Amino acid sequence: MRYRLYLIDRYRSLIGYTGVLLAIIGVVFIVPLLTLVFYPQEVRYAPAFLSAGLPLIIIGMALWYKLAPKQEGSFSPTIHEGMVVVLVVWVVAVTIGAVPFMLISDLTFTQGAFESISGWTTTGLSVVDVESAPRVVLLYRSLIQLAGGAGFAIIALSALAGPAGAGLSAAEGRGDQLAPHVRHSAAIVLRIYAAYNVIGIVALRLAGMTWFDAVNHTFTALATGGFSTRAASIGYFNNPLIEAIVIVLMLLGALNFLTAYTLFRGNFRAFRRNGEIRLQVALFLIVIPLLLVLTTASIYDNIGTSLRVAVFESVSALSGTGFTTVGYANWNSFGLFILVILMTIGGGSGSTAGGIKLNRVYVMVKAIRWEWRRAFLPQHTVNEPSIWEGENRSFISDQLIRRVTLYVFFYIAMLFIGTAMIAAHGYSIGDSLFEFASSLGTTGLSVGVTTPDAPPTLLWGMSLGMFLARLEFFAVMIGVTKLFVDGRVLLTKPETPDRTVKVREDQA
Amino acid sequence: MSHYIIIVGCGRLGSLLANSLSSAGHQLVVIDRNEAKFDKLSTEFSGFKIVGDAIEMSVLRRAHVEKADYLFAITTEDNLNLMVAQIAKIAFNVPHVIARVYDPAREAIYGEFGIETISPTKLAAQAFLDIMRKDV
Repeated sequence: MRYRLYLIDRYRSLIGYTGVLLAIIGVVFIVPLLTLVFYPQEVRYAPAFLSAGLPLIIIGMALWYKLAPKQEGSFSPTIHEGMVVVLVVWVVAVTIGAVPFMLISDLTFTQGAFESISGWTTTGLSVVDVESAPRVVLLYRSLIQLAGGAGFAIIALSALAGPAGAGLSAAEGRGDQLAPHVRHSAAIVLRIYAAYNVIGIVALRLAGMTWFDAVNHTFTALATGGFSTRAASIGYFNNPLIEAIVIVLMLLGALNFLTAYTLFRGNFRAFRRNGEIRLQVALFLIVIPLLLVLTTASIYDNIGTSLRVAVFESVSALSGTGFTTVGYANWNSFGLFILVILMTIGGGSGSTAGGIKLNRVYVMVKAIRWEWRRAFLPQHTVNEPSIWEGENRSFISDQLIRRVTLYVFFYIAMLFIGTAMIAAHGYSIGDSLFEFASSLGTTGLSVGVTTPDAPPTLLWGMSLGMFLARLEFFAVMIGVTKLFVDGRVLLTKPETPDRTVKVREDQA
Repeated sequence: MSHYIIIVGCGRLGSLLANSLSSAGHQLVVIDRNEAKFDKLSTEFSGFKIVGDAIEMSVLRRAHVEKADYLFAITTEDNLNLMVAQIAKIAFNVPHVIARVYDPAREAIYGEFGIETISPTKLAAQAFLDIMRKDV
């Protein structure tokens, strides 16, 4: 009884905060209309965006004013409550996000939702024909990747009076704190992100892209999203300088914000001993020569091109971006499998990249090494295996190892299930594995399974993979479970209605 | 206005202060030797937690004491509080250093070092006396 009242109270506030996040998503739908200033002939597409964005903004703001606690800092969601909010917001975002695609590009709901999920999760698999799509749609695709990459909680925290406490941003997988307060931390993250964008746009423009291409590719490179305005992706430009800049942007996007922050403040020592950086460098040093010798050298005429392709595709796969400079039709299985491994490992934790994440892999590697070494040490030796995160040293506890192992197991299990799902549609095992690793790692590289005429079940299966992986499985599972459990309490009629009313009056 | 506040000792008082200051929008760093003590912090708290002995310079540096506007030394040990407060005041020039001191006899010494003190013992005594005075 009392618990029910408590829940009602909590959920009022949670819905209020959901409102803030919905309003922000609404704004994301309206922003692409800025292109109309430069391309007024596309004004006929405006209603599609307004009809998606305006209701969200109005409903969102109404919920916020009506339900969110008025007193600053009087309410802070726990991480589990944050997961509920994040889950609801994401479901709404990807669903409404399909609307402009359906209205403008004539996609079915399945295709629209696939494109929308692929966008928000910064995957980059696409069923839209980019050559014929209007500019406003292209910019819209890039913008949802930009926003999805940063995470709504971070934007909300720095833009508006968001919820206090770190529950929300942690639930969205953006929990690393740069400053000793969530709001400062969120503001710094957003400032770093904005600075990357400005630098990227200017650099790509100077390297020879048009402003429109520069803006779009910067957005999607930093979000490690990979939507391009060209069917041939970065390969269209065939320009080593552009590729170099995009590589830097992808690496920045896949760099944990905390690590980036320590680097910018001049702490090179902390940067050098960071596990994610070490692992990343090691991976590139192993993988690029292998790709060069065993795959690309035999495909492309000269060694320069082969190296360029090997480097670009490796970075694109590991960072989870999904830009390409070549097609994979003539690649051998070894090269494709290397990319699968890279996509599965993924980028830095708390960055915009997907995959298992470098730090989890690093923890596993370290844990294995310690387990091995322990066999040769006296039984009661005190070990303290540790990793460096930012400026802080943290110890690898059994609890951490348990969490990481479960996550990795879950990830691999999902990868197998998804591969089976695609294979069931009649594709080869190689293509199935590649395409689902790409979905699950929110990468977006494709061997051609993702096409507009792919069967709906295939598209939905891949959509689910992207969605679950972006929110790191457990957020979705806990969010759904909590909604069910709490929903049952909230929906059951109280046994003594009179008393409920009385208690509520007392509170008021 | 958001301040940078360091709290040494995350017991009942420390966690209470940390929770309410953090939810009020201040930047908080809490230091305690025992990691389990951080369980007292609620979801309102969104600052940093550092496990370590606050009389070690390396721990204080990690907490960026040089940036702090306030430092509260509120462990249960008077001598430790005094030492941390002195380091903060003299080595790091923290503008406001407040230490908790149980033994009223020591307060005078703290005063000589320019450290503000709060003595729970004295406060309690005063409260008792005030109630008595009202009754009389």
